[in-house]
Amino acid sequence: MSNSLEQSFVKQLKENQNIIHKICRLYTSGEDAHNDLFQEITIQLWKAFPKFRGESKFSTWAYRVALNTAITLYRKSTRTVATTDMEGKKQFVAPEDYNFEEEEQIKLLYKAVQQLNDIEKALVFMYLEDKDYEEIAETLGISEVNARVKMNRIKGKLKKIVNP
Amino acid sequence: MTEELDLLKKAWKKDEHSYEQVTEKQIYAMIHKRSSSIVKWILMISIAELILWSGISFLFVDENYLKTLETYHIDALFKGVTFLNYLVVVVFIYLFYKNFKTISTTDTVKELMSSIIKTRKTVQYYIWYNLTMFALIFIVVVISQITYDPNLNFVIENNKDLDPQTFWIVIGLTYFVLFAITFGLFWLFYRLIYGFLMRRLFKNHEELKKIDY
Repeated sequence: MSNSLEQSFVKQLKENQNIIHKICRLYTSGEDAHNDLFQEITIQLWKAFPKFRGESKFSTWAYRVALNTAITLYRKSTRTVATTDMEGKKQFVAPEDYNFEEEEQIKLLYKAVQQLNDIEKALVFMYLEDKDYEEIAETLGISEVNARVKMNRIKGKLKKIVNP
Repeated sequence: MTEELDLLKKAWKKDEHSYEQVTEKQIYAMIHKRSSSIVKWILMISIAELILWSGISFLFVDENYLKTLETYHIDALFKGVTFLNYLVVVVFIYLFYKNFKTISTTDTVKELMSSIIKTRKTVQYYIWYNLTMFALIFIVVVISQITYDPNLNFVIENNKDLDPQTFWIVIGLTYFVLFAITFGLFWLFYRLIYGFLMRRLFKNHEELKKIDY
């Protein structure tokens, strides 16, 4: 691999790393698992990078490869405890906009999302990232109508978990 | 009323810049590490299998083995089978390579899963081919052994006073148990290895099929 390719990849990944962190946040719990998945996604991205032609944005291309890795290629490491650390790798909370009640509900929501299966998590991720249904359907390889139906079911499911 | 997910979206956006950042140096280190993806494991195990199966046939071929085949009158047949086996191995290596080339993380989730499952199927066909061959050869060898083996015939001749029915039942059972154990071990081995690797993938594949019925 040429060095300039490597440089360009590292630079772009560094700039766009939050999208990968966000996927890791939904798919793992605990810092070790987060880092493991981040590592595997980085390798898969690097392997696929020569095929990245810049037709789409780096971030769009990267999140697709990352989702594919999280759903299909990644083997969850057994050393993670699935229930305890739902906070993931989130680091600092800005104290000025801390609203206790809302914060509690958001915690509950993150917990609820963690309980979804891998495919549902992918749908939630793309929804949170404001992707339209056309893109969601295309990324997963399903029809737009079915993506919409599934998304509505997930919303219902989350509502039930949060307001039992 | 705000939807739950939209509330989460608000928090999600706010969290956007709260992740501990990875440095360029760390990314450099990461891309030089080895992948531990299931595709890599499937590839490695499959190559090990190809080597194992072709290795086994080499291992057993020696002077004694060839002489025994002559005694059993199946040497010509075995030459043909060996040739066929090599041909099949070459074909499978080609299919295998072709399948792995098509696995691409840039495909849709569904396509990626399908190509992995297809690759796995190729390996499975190869295993079934080998197990079937093993069974067929086992039967041929047993029949020729009973017909031509001087030692076995000696035993049969000298136990004429034994109840022939009991004798043949014992022989039959021995062969059967031998066969069942070998076959069972292979089966278990494959179930364990690939079952372990593929369980989550199959689960997700099923889930996606359920959505897109």
